[in-house]
Amino acid sequence: MKKMKFGWSGAKLMLLAALLLTATLAPISVFAQADPASDVIPAPKEFSLSTADLVYYAYWVLAALVLLVIVYIFNVGAASEKLTGRTVINWTKVNAWLSIIILVAGGAGVAYELVYHGRYLLPDAASKHGDSIDNMFNWTFGFTFAVFVITEVLLFWFLFKYRTKEGRKAAYYFHNNQLEVIWTVIPAIVLTFLVLRGYSTWHAITQTPEPTAKQIEVFGYQFGWKARYAGEDNKFGEANFNFIDPATNELGLAIKPTVIALRDTLTADTHRLGNDLRNLSAILKKKAEDLSKMSLAADGKAYTDLAQELEDIRNGNKASELRKMMKRKGVQIQRINASLGNQDLFNGAANDDKITTEIHLIKDQPYTFKYRARDVIHSAYMPYFRSQMNVVPGMTTSFTFTPTKTTKQMQDELKNPEFQFYLFCAKICGSAHYNMKIKVVVETESEYNAWLDKQKRVIEPAQPEAPSAPASGTDTTATPKTAKNNNTRPSLAMGH
Amino acid sequence: MSTAAAHGVHADAHEHHHESFIRKYIFSTDHKMISRQFLITGIVMGVIGMVMSILFRLQLAWPDQKFAILEMLLGRWAKGGILDANFYMALVTIHGTIMVFYVLTAGLSGTFSNLLIPLQCGARDMASPFMNMLSYWFFFISSLVLCWSFFVETGPASAGWTVYPPLSALEKAMPGSGFGMTLWLVAIALFIVSSLLGGINYISTVLNMRTKGMSMNRLPLTIWAFFFTAILGLLSFPVLLGAALFLIFDRSFGTSFYLSDIWLNGVGALENVGGSPILYQHLFWFLGHPEVYIILMPALGITSEVIATNARKPIFGYTAMVISLMGISVLSFIVWGHHMFITGMNPFLGSVFMFLTLVIAVPSAVKVFNYLTTLWRGNIQFTPAMLFAIGLVSFFISGGLTGIYLGNAALDINLHDSYFVVAHFHLVMGSAAIFGMLSGIYHWFPKMFGRLMNNTLGYFHFWLTFIAAYLVFFPMHFMGLAGVPRRYYAFSVIPEFNVWLEVNQLITVAAILAGFAQVLFLWNFFYSIFRGKKSSANPWKANTLEWSTPVEHIHGNWPGEIPTVYRGPYEYSREDREEDYYPQYIPGEDEGHGHDAPKTKTAPVHTEEAPAATGGNVLFSALKKVFGFSPR
Repeated sequence: MKKMKFGWSGAKLMLLAALLLTATLAPISVFAQADPASDVIPAPKEFSLSTADLVYYAYWVLAALVLLVIVYIFNVGAASEKLTGRTVINWTKVNAWLSIIILVAGGAGVAYELVYHGRYLLPDAASKHGDSIDNMFNWTFGFTFAVFVITEVLLFWFLFKYRTKEGRKAAYYFHNNQLEVIWTVIPAIVLTFLVLRGYSTWHAITQTPEPTAKQIEVFGYQFGWKARYAGEDNKFGEANFNFIDPATNELGLAIKPTVIALRDTLTADTHRLGNDLRNLSAILKKKAEDLSKMSLAADGKAYTDLAQELEDIRNGNKASELRKMMKRKGVQIQRINASLGNQDLFNGAANDDKITTEIHLIKDQPYTFKYRARDVIHSAYMPYFRSQMNVVPGMTTSFTFTPTKTTKQMQDELKNPEFQFYLFCAKICGSAHYNMKIKVVVETESEYNAWLDKQKRVIEPAQPEAPSAPASGTDTTATPKTAKNNNTRPSLAMGH
Repeated sequence: MSTAAAHGVHADAHEHHHESFIRKYIFSTDHKMISRQFLITGIVMGVIGMVMSILFRLQLAWPDQKFAILEMLLGRWAKGGILDANFYMALVTIHGTIMVFYVLTAGLSGTFSNLLIPLQCGARDMASPFMNMLSYWFFFISSLVLCWSFFVETGPASAGWTVYPPLSALEKAMPGSGFGMTLWLVAIALFIVSSLLGGINYISTVLNMRTKGMSMNRLPLTIWAFFFTAILGLLSFPVLLGAALFLIFDRSFGTSFYLSDIWLNGVGALENVGGSPILYQHLFWFLGHPEVYIILMPALGITSEVIATNARKPIFGYTAMVISLMGISVLSFIVWGHHMFITGMNPFLGSVFMFLTLVIAVPSAVKVFNYLTTLWRGNIQFTPAMLFAIGLVSFFISGGLTGIYLGNAALDINLHDSYFVVAHFHLVMGSAAIFGMLSGIYHWFPKMFGRLMNNTLGYFHFWLTFIAAYLVFFPMHFMGLAGVPRRYYAFSVIPEFNVWLEVNQLITVAAILAGFAQVLFLWNFFYSIFRGKKSSANPWKANTLEWSTPVEHIHGNWPGEIPTVYRGPYEYSREDREEDYYPQYIPGEDEGHGHDAPKTKTAPVHTEEAPAATGGNVLFSALKKVFGFSPR
């Protein structure tokens, strides 16, 4: 008895502590929410104690008190049970009724969710195949929801109905072949139906060629997207990861002058790294002097970073890192050199490609998205178009669909003038994974053409007489404006 | 102990009587002690995993709120009281890893396989007690290594619990892919060793060490579930070990199993060519999908046992239950591709995997219907264990049904990697398996610790957890349907997602409520170990063999001879008996037939003197039923 009492008071204390902790952690916004239907972003709240806060804390204290009272009642009940030998709390009854209450409340909750959040239940598709997916979804929803309701109701109803009672004995009922066959065969038939339907839907979406589809390349990287449209020649230029330079050639397109410039930068880098490697002892001396002028108290992180750097030089980590970098760059230079003579690669098709920071689509025009990744796996997700495909380094993936609603139409339908389609990342890809999106605009053909005309070509035809393809290595006019200035270009180009 | 010595029958019992503290409590080879070690380590890991989930739930609900307490707890990971984006990823990753492997694989299967396989089969210990001890200690070291990664400068692994390369393979791709990732891989490798050592033991004990009369078709469904689970683990975990080793090679030795054509920010073009990131996904999910059933099946086995005992009824369709377990086990090996419909895998392969995946719903449906029929016309005892078992069935239904959406390749296009997936697997394998584990803890606590847990606290624990779990996971379906992707640190980027802020807050409050309910459980558990009411030998009036052992643990389990088994495990409420149970070990003319489906009431069941050396009676009788022949 005494022991039990000790246990209970401990439990009560923990209860209270947990509740108070919860109350402190959770800010007031739980109860004081703006109308959820409005799309207004609630402003970030500063922590200050207002009346609303007090009301909020009062809620928690009240909740804690109610819980304590309940626990206390049960406690007294248990104690008097022991004293009098009579059952005060019939837990069978309590649990049986609770299961009915939970069943009803759960049913109400599900109904509420369906009505209230059901408006988000697969928002209307904005693509052609989207309707077939939604159709498939509705069939699946119909079957599963029926099974869900029937089985959950039976489960909790049985719990209530067959609760133990004085003198009740369970039925010795262990087997019924017929019943078991029935409930094996019926799910099998339903699932066969769903499989066949699912197969035809999947097949139609993924394995049916769209001969009129236009192509768009979407390039994913940490952390963003770029789109590429084939230029007037309607042909995408080739690309290779060895050609990537974030400043001049983000997508690694096969444009000879740019690639050669990159190779030269790499060569210069390699020389610089080689020099560093040879002069490590001098660098060490200089950095040690720098360090002696600093102090941990004054410089904090800068001091520890430098100390770490020194340590790395002393123990040889730095040298091996430099060697690794040189080797890596050397391999890249070799690969670039090996590819420079490849006319299929450097066919000039890339020059008139357009790299854009938005994706624009024509309504009712089929599109094949070709996906390429620079670094890690991303996933291109456009829920309104019912389209998702992983974007995998080392391979090209694709997804074909036809948008059927313009952005404007969607804005009118949703009564939200701010609405925009987005393509965003759905595969964990690093710290800014949540911040990786590109706007998708669906519009009429004329709007699309007007937009596309405004987009810059990768290589602007600066002079009309400039040869377009294949660009010669020494042609400096054809380099993009943003190209890193590199003085060694002519000499190394000669080497090619 | 003294009773055992007094009986003085089993030499081992005497010999181990004077064991030192270390041999008895730490490096013990006794399966009951090892099971307690697994359980308590599992609970500790579970608490860590749960606290993590509450931390990242706070971020999702109140992304702009500064919580001073977070900075106090986490330091540089929550500067100014706001969780760091990288650390958010780490929390998500380690939460998943801990829950999937450390709690629901080792904590659940490790605990109850260890406790029940020898006790319910009638063996004095595992086939190899020493290997069993190693299994626990590999698991323990693995847990330490995983926790160590929180004290690494760059933080623990953060590429998601699936650790897909290249993100996990490239040190510079994210901070968590540094040393923390190496530790993750080492931890998982150790874990796999632990799991294999355990699995081999479970299988050989079930096959070879059953007592007299314990034929395969008299095994409790718990043992069947543990048996299939061990087979799944034994066949699939080595594949993950291979995948992890390749990843270690790629990370540290410059190989290119998973890497090709990569240009990484801050590094440049990498030398690796020729590898494929998709290869890793195939290898990972070849374990990953059976792993779902490695988690779930022990919980289903426990539920079968608890529901039959507390409904005081024979489990309905014993043979069907075993065959459906077997069906699930076989199918679970050939459905892994449904995790990869949109990874760039050949779409035709997608349709094959879709077919196989939806087939698995049939045995699952059979199990649910059989549970319901077992309850029908029962005499239901509301013990906390029973409530948790019912909770499992409820979650298994609501989470299992959404599997039909996700297994459908066409629907998966839109639902893949959305909150719908989060809702699905948290219900069907998260909540369901946790409820199975809790059910098992409440049910076998008297067997493990000789005392009873407090029922009232158990009821509070159940109802609070049950309601909170639904509040947490049910609304997530709708977020997923609206296209909200998972593993997002904040939803501020797409303006439409802000309508979910309120729902996220509800979910977080519910998650905190669930956490609070677990405090009740922890209190109840640890308090009852030392101060709980003393249990009688068979507190639930159950039929199975473990309740014939003395309350005080003795080495070798039974003081005298191991009891002989005379009938199946589910002879409850027989018309011809006054008592509503008929333990397996009570001698009696009537063999019972409650569990033995193919036989009619008049035909006698096999009267076996010795246990079958190899399993499969049930399979044979099933084959006979289906095809009209038996290989015998």
